Amino acid sequence: METEFASIEHEIHVDAAPEIVFDVVSRAEHLAQWWPDRAQIETKVGANGHIEFAQADGSAPKRVPMTIVEVEPPRRFSFRWDYAAGEQPDEGNSLLVVFELEPVGAGTRIRMTETGFREQGWEAAVLERNYLDHVSGWNYFIPRLATYVGNLAVSS
Amino acid sequence: MTVQVDDDLWSALGDPTRRRMLDLLLTVGASTATSLSEQLPVTRQAVAKHLAVLDRAGLVTVAPVGREMRYRIDDAQFARAVAQLAAVGTAWDARLARIKQMAEAIQRAQNETNNRETRD
Repeated sequence: METEFASIEHEIHVDAAPEIVFDVVSRAEHLAQWWPDRAQIETKVGANGHIEFAQADGSAPKRVPMTIVEVEPPRRFSFRWDYAAGEQPDEGNSLLVVFELEPVGAGTRIRMTETGFREQGWEAAVLERNYLDHVSGWNYFIPRLATYVGNLAVSS
Repeated sequence: MTVQVDDDLWSALGDPTRRRMLDLLLTVGASTATSLSEQLPVTRQAVAKHLAVLDRAGLVTVAPVGREMRYRIDDAQFARAVAQLAAVGTAWDARLARIKQMAEAIQRAQNETNNRETRD
């Protein structure tokens, strides 16, 4: 079981130029608004930082390390997260998130892939579900989207 | 190392016939391939194949009863799969929707600035 990889893929079209989308997915000040409570990371290959998830029970926020893997504006951005503090992230101990941006008309198609050990993905999902429970308003105001679980058949 | 993109569990839940089979196993309890096929528009052979997929994913357990095999839901694995799959899916949906919203707001603000500059 531990040796099995799992991957989730999502695609979404955004009516904004790839340069703008790239900033939103890769810069800490934006990242903190679409993901955790806090993000401290430089948008630089090899940069180490962390994100923080508030805990529903009011205990200290859970801090999760993050390392930037690729920064290729405005097309590709990737990072590893969810490994133990002090460890070097690699395929064996972390989740890899890749954003690929493709210009489509005046907009951008985002293709997001998260890959890692299945067990680890589940742990991360639990962590995030707790976070989403905590920030109850977050799921509320966003538009509902078709849910893709598993491998999305990429349609062009 | 090759990344295995195809996840047994997720593809197991991705098939509508298998989801109906899981529904049946949840409602009527342990069943044989024969009894399942009587309640579904598929052959016993097809049901057996689907059961093998569910078995590989750990979603059902199997035990011999007389000459037939009887399948039942593995409660722990099933509950876990459903909860976690939902969490993974909605988490990234929520995040990407938020990314979309933020990028489009920035783009609109930029367009307005540009329009104003061309007008002035």
